[in-house]
Amino acid sequence: MSFTWTSAHRAELDALKERYPSPKALVLPALWKVQEQEGFLSLEGIEAVAELTGYSKAEVYGVATFYTMFHLQPQGTYTLQVCKTLSCALNGQGTILDHLKERLGIEVGETTPDGQFTLTQVECLGSCGTAPVMQVNDTLHEHLTPESVDTLLDTLSDKGGSL
Amino acid sequence: MSTQSVTITVDGTPIEVNPDRMLLPELLDKGFSIPHFCYQESLGSDGNCRMCMVEIAGKKRPQISCDTPIVAGMEVRTRGESIEKVRRDILELELINHPVDCPICDQAGECSLQDYYMEYGLYQGKVDKKEKHHFDKHIDLGANVLHDQERCVLCQRCVRFCRDVTHTDELCVAGRGDHSYITTIPGETLHNAYAMNVTDLCPVGALTSKDFRFQQRVWFLATSPSVCHGCAKGCAIDIDHAKSKYHDDTIYRFRPRKNPEINGEFICDAGRLSYKETQTYLLRTCLAKEEILADAEALDRMKAILTEDEYPIVVLADANLYTEELAALQAFARTFHAQLYAPLEAYHDPAFGDDWLKSSQRAANAEGVKRLGIATEMPTLNDNTLVINVNHPDGHRTANRIDLLTHRPDENTERVPARLTLPIAPWVRSSGHLINEDGIEQYCEQVLRRNDPTPTLLERLAHFLDKGDDTILDNMETAL
Ligand code: SF4
Ligand code: SF4
Ligand code: FES
Ligand code: FES
Repeated sequence: MSFTWTSAHRAELDALKERYPSPKALVLPALWKVQEQEGFLSLEGIEAVAELTGYSKAEVYGVATFYTMFHLQPQGTYTLQVCKTLSCALNGQGTILDHLKERLGIEVGETTPDGQFTLTQVECLGSCGTAPVMQVNDTLHEHLTPESVDTLLDTLSDKGGSL
Repeated sequence: MSTQSVTITVDGTPIEVNPDRMLLPELLDKGFSIPHFCYQESLGSDGNCRMCMVEIAGKKRPQISCDTPIVAGMEVRTRGESIEKVRRDILELELINHPVDCPICDQAGECSLQDYYMEYGLYQGKVDKKEKHHFDKHIDLGANVLHDQERCVLCQRCVRFCRDVTHTDELCVAGRGDHSYITTIPGETLHNAYAMNVTDLCPVGALTSKDFRFQQRVWFLATSPSVCHGCAKGCAIDIDHAKSKYHDDTIYRFRPRKNPEINGEFICDAGRLSYKETQTYLLRTCLAKEEILADAEALDRMKAILTEDEYPIVVLADANLYTEELAALQAFARTFHAQLYAPLEAYHDPAFGDDWLKSSQRAANAEGVKRLGIATEMPTLNDNTLVINVNHPDGHRTANRIDLLTHRPDENTERVPARLTLPIAPWVRSSGHLINEDGIEQYCEQVLRRNDPTPTLLERLAHFLDKGDDTILDNMETAL
């Protein structure tokens, strides 16, 4: 497997490069582009970011593993990112997480066998006032209860593989 | 560059210091003991471990001394209840999930964490062992380096060595916060020729050498300063050896010894592991062709051959011999009207050399050979010449020959059997000087004192030399 930037991404990154004194500043935007392109960060994608920024592969890998929003494994159609930080923890994220585990039959970090859902935990999503929350791909879902989670998953499952 | 020294007060005593340096290195050099993990002389400061805190008058909070510039007149405190409490608290944090498996850890006895804890520790842990989080142990990082994530204090010395010294960048800190861990990129390994230095750099038992693992407790080891014989660079090393019950004096490891002019604080992995060659496949008995001889008998026969035979004599000397030994061979050659050569071609190994320490000249004393004026080409030899081969790697081609060897001849190489073979002690069992490829001379102590001492080359030659020949000494003095 190898990684090639789409021409649009390449152009965007080249334009961004102009803004900073060092290409190293591009490490986060570049990782985002890889994830947009591949759905996760492959080691080849990480290598491409290293080449672009002048960081070593190991340094980029360190950055990629630092942030919970970056995925190092292929994801299901829907990545369920359950907030695990204080406000959500105090407002019942444990119940939500247990409910998700039971309904989907998977543990955190795993993907359902049909490839639809990947369950992850992330740090504060910046929506503490509406805790507990979870982000599904790029959409935030607030005030979760086991029932609202069921409704949400039913809708998503009905849509099947298409986003 | 250096500016004038300034005066600061440390623990109430005024001292003169160099204001161009950070506080920690300067105070360490002045003999103060300040705990530290991430600062390392060759790698510099990183400011990540917070272990090196000191109190500075006028500052509200303790400061990390590794990253605090020296200012004239500053008042520093490295001792006292309040700073010791800070240290105790940091150590307590370090140890929350530490497995405290010192009894089975190779680092025990030379571990910074252990030492600091004994000095400042809390002693009674507050965390129930059963509640500790566990991480991976004995991860094989490659290059004989094993990683124990539970023991790691995340000082990043290993990461910085691979990034800043070898520029091979194999390691990184992955994850974040209390989930951080040291790793290679998945599927990759440590792959540089100096990788095992990270086992010395690691202040704790998180990186240990597969080779030394579980072999010996460090407090049983005696250390002798010496020089690696792996190539002409002549890296300074410490040789750790022990004479344990039912065993003879045995070498357990080579470690780099600091020498800023040659190897800094590092050695290559090949040199580090070359200790094995000094104690395996050693020749122990005298041989006439295949027949085993007593030592005295062998010496008599050697004398007879040297004095009675009519052949011209050529001596082939190993260019790893100490300067003293080479000079003695010169005297020996004079006594018997022999030609002395130390052919260097056989030691040329371009695959070994690199642009840092490793040299493609594999003979440790090639420079010593040259300075003594010994011929370095290989003479044309046939059986009308009597060859005295002193451990030369290419000295076994003719049959009319006496071998003085450290090691049993390698059965795989085509080798014409010698008329007579006498063992001599390997370099770790004798002492002398070496001159490295840059002209730097170093002394090697005798490291091993075995129960079954094989005579050294000098002891062998003493049987043949005129005791009054002081040109040996003269020659050596010119060479040195
Ligand atoms: S493995 Fe050792 S050197 Fe590397 S970060 Fe951990 S404690 Fe420091
Ligand atoms: S570079 Fe040469 S002298 Fe130095 S440790 Fe390696 S083999 Fe030994
Ligand atoms: S703690 Fe969950 S959104 Fe802030
Ligand atoms: S030695 Fe100063 S912070 Fe680590």
